[in-house]
Amino acid sequence: MTASTLTPVRRSRSRPPAALWVLLVPFLVMFALFFVAPIVFAVVDSLFAQKSSGLGLTAPTREFVFMDNYVAALSSPAFLASLGRLVAFSAIEVPLMVVTALALALLLGAAAARFPRLFRVTYFMPYGVPGVIAALLWGFLYIPATSPVLQLLGAVGIHANPLSSDAVLFAIANIALWGFAGYNMLILIAALDAIPSDLYEAARLDGAGEWRVIWHIKLPLIRPSIVLITLFTIIGTLQLFVEPLVLRPLTTAISSDYTPNLAAYNQAFTQGNPNLAAAMAVIVALLAFAFSALFLRIVNRKGNRAW
Amino acid sequence: MPQRAHRRLRTSAILAGAVVATLALASCSSGETPSADGPVELTFQSWVPNIDQAVDAFNEAHDDIHVTLETITAGPDGGYAKMLSAVQAGDPADVAQVGYDAVPDFLVNDALEDITEYVADDADRFTEWQWETGVFDDRVYSIPQASGPLGQFYRKDIFDSLGLAAPTTWEEYYAAAKAIRASDPNRYIAAFAFNQAPWLIGLSQQGGGEWFSTEGDAWNVAIDDEATLEVAEFWQRLIDEDLVKIEADFSSEWNADIQNGNVASWISGSWADAIVRGTAPDTAGSWAVAPMPQWSDGETVSATWAGGSANVVLKGSKHPEEAAEFALWLNSEPESVSILTSVGAGWPAITDLESIPSLQDDPEVFAFYGGQDIWDVFAESDAAVAATWKWPPLSQTLFASLTDNVKAAVEAGTPLTEAYVATQADFVAALEDKGISVAE
Repeated sequence: MTASTLTPVRRSRSRPPAALWVLLVPFLVMFALFFVAPIVFAVVDSLFAQKSSGLGLTAPTREFVFMDNYVAALSSPAFLASLGRLVAFSAIEVPLMVVTALALALLLGAAAARFPRLFRVTYFMPYGVPGVIAALLWGFLYIPATSPVLQLLGAVGIHANPLSSDAVLFAIANIALWGFAGYNMLILIAALDAIPSDLYEAARLDGAGEWRVIWHIKLPLIRPSIVLITLFTIIGTLQLFVEPLVLRPLTTAISSDYTPNLAAYNQAFTQGNPNLAAAMAVIVALLAFAFSALFLRIVNRKGNRAW
Repeated sequence: MPQRAHRRLRTSAILAGAVVATLALASCSSGETPSADGPVELTFQSWVPNIDQAVDAFNEAHDDIHVTLETITAGPDGGYAKMLSAVQAGDPADVAQVGYDAVPDFLVNDALEDITEYVADDADRFTEWQWETGVFDDRVYSIPQASGPLGQFYRKDIFDSLGLAAPTTWEEYYAAAKAIRASDPNRYIAAFAFNQAPWLIGLSQQGGGEWFSTEGDAWNVAIDDEATLEVAEFWQRLIDEDLVKIEADFSSEWNADIQNGNVASWISGSWADAIVRGTAPDTAGSWAVAPMPQWSDGETVSATWAGGSANVVLKGSKHPEEAAEFALWLNSEPESVSILTSVGAGWPAITDLESIPSLQDDPEVFAFYGGQDIWDVFAESDAAVAATWKWPPLSQTLFASLTDNVKAAVEAGTPLTEAYVATQADFVAALEDKGISVAE
């Protein structure tokens, strides 16, 4: 008995026990099937093109064109403009989202907060609404003819048009903000709840006010969660798709290649060019990877982690 | 007692389940071996509302074929993508709804069965220009269903109250637009539907534009031809003088404007009658339909809302012959065409209009339009459609690029004509990118 219980310990150092594989294999299979395989497929697809000839009324042939689709995507002014728009959108959305989520979390976590659970649920609720529905609802609110809010503003002489070209990025940011602020807030609240209360007690004894507690205790201790939601938001904004897709028919300010994802969708499903779409998708994926890596590098730069 | 009843219920449920399972198995096997034991099973993909009535009529009239309707998103909004993906995956529906403009797109993607041998003999039952939209190199690839000859749907009460008749020329249209705009700060003669490539194209076509023709083995592309630029300049004038509302049609805003009369008319295809009735049921009796305004007095030039709709047999269908038979019946059998017409599928593609009961008298429709027989207008419009219009491959690319360019022009305040010049360049480049020949 004793001998047999000892041996596995030694063996486990040389190779993992069978149980580990049993637990890992389902994950690895799914990971390969639904993550690695599509990426490989997209990369391969992006190196080919469908070519017709003559009047183009006969079956096309599939040709290896190497990097041509990437060149085509990156030399298309519309696609480059969509990349620029995305960066501008991230610049609006990421700080807005982090500050809002943080403010909500701190407000609900404050000792003076009333009905914190009720508000928590209320703020989180929009996350349960599918993005398409949310965008449709906001579409109603953005059009003067159907929006009670804009009609009210119009009655007092303020004529706002959220769907005009100079406001539409903010209009989209607003939809995304409502959708995800509650979700991010919950992550931050969980982190806040994990802070031992004796730290607050000690701070209060030392005479610290609410602001000092926030600044010197809460924020530094939930820093990993703030980094996490920032990263989520960066990746999320790079995937921007649903909101502009739904709002597009309502305004002249959103073209069919307004964001890179929309451009890829447009190529794949309306223009019948899945190969170019694959190249665009790979570019967006690389961009998301680069942005996330850059961000993590910046926040993890120093050991002391100064903000 | 209740317990016993419960048990009996359960037993019969199990029995019923077993029966259903057997039936399902039977129908599965019959799907693979036609006519041996049960009807051939076909799937039909369409987005036409209430087309199930016509499908039911087919199923009732046929013992050997059974068709299941699958309602999908309208083609340009995702339906085509679904069809083409299914063809690629090797599991397509048998028959599908495809716009005339999209048939070449499907050919380019090698997604259509050649149905010449099954249907060629029936060509003369259809109007020639509609039949020809499905014929390439003397091979038949689609059965025309319906077209959308253009007409003006207008609020007769509003026009009457301003002493206006429906404009017969575009100059009169301009004058009417001014009068309507002046009558109410919220009211416009029409929406400028920047989102609708088919509408923009229909207007150009009616103005005499002929964008595509073939020259040997190459396409001539003339999106910025003189006629089109003149039409663009006309609408530019209406936009500049704030006489049309820049608004997407079919949007919630537009729906509201149609209901409350802020948009007093709509140039659209014949099928729009069902949309107007459905959108603004409260305005029954106050609408009327007039022929298209003309560019020169006394002419009767018309066009369509980018063609019409056809039914194709998708490549990979296990029963192309039965599928072609269904498509043919659906679109030429008077019983079926009558249903299609009354549900708003469009203007029938068949020549024998006399045989269609719903075109002779449709109390509900005529009452909505103040007792007018609106089909007279569309019969004339359909006969006046320029039959030479040809669709090239990549029409979806054309639509996307046209609406993008028109949107950009409206947004930036640059001339509309430039949008057509840009679309010309975009489209020639798109064809060449695909290896398709363009004549210079």
